[in-house]
Amino acid sequence: MDAFVVILVSAVTAIATLILISTGLAVIFGLMRVINMAHGEFLMVGALTTTSLVLKLHFPWWLAMMVAPFVGAAIGGVMEILLISRIYQRDLVDTLLITFGISLIMFQLAVNIFGTTPPGIETPLGAMTVGSYSFPAYTLVLLVAALVMLSGLYLLFTRTKYGLLARATAQNPAMALALGVPAQRINFITFTLGCALASLGGAVLAPMISVSPSLGQAYVGQAFMTVVIAGPAFISGTLLSAFLLGGVSNGLSQGATTLWGVTGLFAMAIVILRFKPLGVSASWKRGL
Amino acid sequence: MTTSMPHDEPLTGTFSSSLAIRSMRVKGLILFPVLIALLVFAAQFASSTMALKLTLWISFAICALSLDFVWGKAGIFSFGQNAVFGLGGYAYAVVALNLFPTSQETISALLGAGLVGAVSSTLLGYFLFYSRLSDVSLSIVTLAVTLIIYTVLASTAGPEYHIGDALLGGFNGIPSLPGIAFPSIGSFGGEELSMHQLLTFAIVFAGLIYFLLHVLVHSRFGLKIEGLRSNELRMELLGYDVRKLKLTAFTIGGLIAGLGGGLFAAWGTFVNPSVFSLAQAATVVVWVMVGGRGSLLGAFVGVLLVQSAADAADLVVTEQTPLLVGLLLIGVVMLMPDGVVPTLTRWIMPARSRQRDFRIKLPVAKPGFANETPERRLSVTEIAKHFGGVHVLRGISAAFGEHPINAIIGPNGAGKSTFFNILTGRHRPDQGKVVLNGSDVSRMPTFLRCRRGLGIKMQVPCIFSDLTVRENMQLAAMISREAQDICDVLQRVGLSNRANEIAKTLSHGEQQWLEIALLLVQNPSVILLDEPGAGMGEEDKRRTIALIHSLSEQHTLIVVEHDMEFIRALSAPLLMLHQGIVFRSGAFEELVRDDAVIDAYLGRRSHAG
Repeated sequence: MDAFVVILVSAVTAIATLILISTGLAVIFGLMRVINMAHGEFLMVGALTTTSLVLKLHFPWWLAMMVAPFVGAAIGGVMEILLISRIYQRDLVDTLLITFGISLIMFQLAVNIFGTTPPGIETPLGAMTVGSYSFPAYTLVLLVAALVMLSGLYLLFTRTKYGLLARATAQNPAMALALGVPAQRINFITFTLGCALASLGGAVLAPMISVSPSLGQAYVGQAFMTVVIAGPAFISGTLLSAFLLGGVSNGLSQGATTLWGVTGLFAMAIVILRFKPLGVSASWKRGL
Repeated sequence: MTTSMPHDEPLTGTFSSSLAIRSMRVKGLILFPVLIALLVFAAQFASSTMALKLTLWISFAICALSLDFVWGKAGIFSFGQNAVFGLGGYAYAVVALNLFPTSQETISALLGAGLVGAVSSTLLGYFLFYSRLSDVSLSIVTLAVTLIIYTVLASTAGPEYHIGDALLGGFNGIPSLPGIAFPSIGSFGGEELSMHQLLTFAIVFAGLIYFLLHVLVHSRFGLKIEGLRSNELRMELLGYDVRKLKLTAFTIGGLIAGLGGGLFAAWGTFVNPSVFSLAQAATVVVWVMVGGRGSLLGAFVGVLLVQSAADAADLVVTEQTPLLVGLLLIGVVMLMPDGVVPTLTRWIMPARSRQRDFRIKLPVAKPGFANETPERRLSVTEIAKHFGGVHVLRGISAAFGEHPINAIIGPNGAGKSTFFNILTGRHRPDQGKVVLNGSDVSRMPTFLRCRRGLGIKMQVPCIFSDLTVRENMQLAAMISREAQDICDVLQRVGLSNRANEIAKTLSHGEQQWLEIALLLVQNPSVILLDEPGAGMGEEDKRRTIALIHSLSEQHTLIVVEHDMEFIRALSAPLLMLHQGIVFRSGAFEELVRDDAVIDAYLGRRSHAG
């Protein structure tokens, strides 16, 4: 029973983490076909905002986490207006290279401002005990945050006017434009939303991980893999993909070492792609 | 300064199985050893710091060269070239530490680096290309691989992680490697090279790699990978195994990057996981972007410019490399996406990019070979195909070849395109057989069917728009066992005076003819035409119909079309598909008088009962 709880808790943590780190990327890629290479740095922005607000300005942790997405959205919005909107029509590799450039600049600026190893914050809420095993109660926050994020997005894209227009623009940009959809504004909102979600993800994870400017590098590889495996349905696909990859990597981490966990995640991803090159949701009928 | 090639230059020639190189290029290459010798001579006067720096840059340039080849020539955008470079470095370290104490040489380690580079690229490439990943997924996966290697190598700090005598050492990497040392033969070799000797070695080594790559790029293989970059689908429709070609190009890139990594490790006498960092992955791309992708020389120019700029900036603000690389990357993409070398080339020699001479002499089949092809038949039996729950085709049987022209018609949603795709091999049937000239090709991929005599003409012109008309034709002829004379075919479609022009400068109509010429040069037994009349004016349609009639003398044609006037002019037996079955077949006049056919087209319920 205790062993079961141990495995369950760590699996939930792994899966929720993957969802938190990849949703923002999935939204931007799914709706704009833009690969945001600076995604990892937006995770970092969220995490650093949270730790700084808690340590310097003594915000309560939950309030600091609520502020983080706005910081991410502000940076992302400026980036979209200055650079992304100008090259959106061009080669896909161009947007990839531009965002890569931004990623490097953000990384170096973070190092300049915060140093390479800024102080972290404690995990709030203490521990919970089940039998002889105790685990951080904050795990539940991760789980709830991941679920709220996905269900919130589902509602946003099915129930709002923006959601409808964004999906229309994604499916057929030329037609959407011809029907009078302000595609440029929709893309701006989508990109900003994606950056905000990334920062929120980083913020929620901040108490559980070591927060530093290189945080982005540490997580972005897994985030990319999750999104590629997810395929076109960027909400439900991401959920399934996080389950598959998170489950496998967690199992291996438990059984062997973290090193094997990371390697296993990658190996699994490559094997899935061999058979499902367009991702697990490629043949699904619903597009969300 | 370009010598223009006369248009009527004979294209025929003797078949040569070796790599035949353009004669003009060969002349240029005589100068090449002289240039290398001059560089080696000049290198002796470099200061020690300079020599050290230049050797490092040369190892970088070899890495850039590999990406330039893979991306600029073959069109595969990989973020993983620096990972292969890094693996080469680690391979050098591991082999050198294990062998050097006894063998006193590290050339084996350098070759080992190249081998590891090639093998790791083959493995990765197999998954990338045989999964048919999209370009985007491919670049993401290569990046993720890089990051994961970084993570894995960084966590190998313990003493348990070792290969032979080499401790992997986690973040700190592997220190105290031996430098480049030749095996001792008499008084030569047997000890590590000095700083200036290493620079000399690096210049010659890089020069050799550059030379071989240059030869490769101008060989038949070079033309094939240019075709790949220009139009992958057409390559497949000509009968090329696209995945294998890509894998080969990627492996060659891996070999080069691995060798560069070996030189890098020998230069620094250490290697650590920082070569796998994101910043490094981006830097390789920046080198190639700045130098100009597709220009082999650009790799060297790019490294020289970017690294000099980085060094200069380092004097002003230290330790800001990622910031600088980031700014450079954004600047180049926004302001000069073509890179320095191509931009300069265009300024200095504006004609050169347009003027291309032909590269290869081709095997030419005996004239009149076409008539000797005995079989020109394609038949299908009981073909069924469903997508999800929708049964698009429900048991179609037909035989083509009795009559030279065959038309397939049907209202929207009848299953025409699915049927066409079953014939081309894009879709595999759930049931039933496709038989081409007596052999079952149901499970065969498109390119193999094309090699066995199937020609496919797409609705929109599918040609190599970045290559000249002649190069287009050569690509088609190279893979065919029954290649026809290129000049004859070009004359037949009226393009013989355009042979040296880049295909994208042709008009829409001419591009259609070029595509037909690509089929003709391969002398296929059966030609599939997908809506040949689509988007054409009356004049073009008449020409196309005339051409179809003339083609039918030597080939069996299958035309999928819904333009009734067009079909009437073909005077061919019709096969009408409706709701996934062969609804009617017969002559045009019979079908237009059939009420059931009209009902199907108008979407009426049958009134005949």
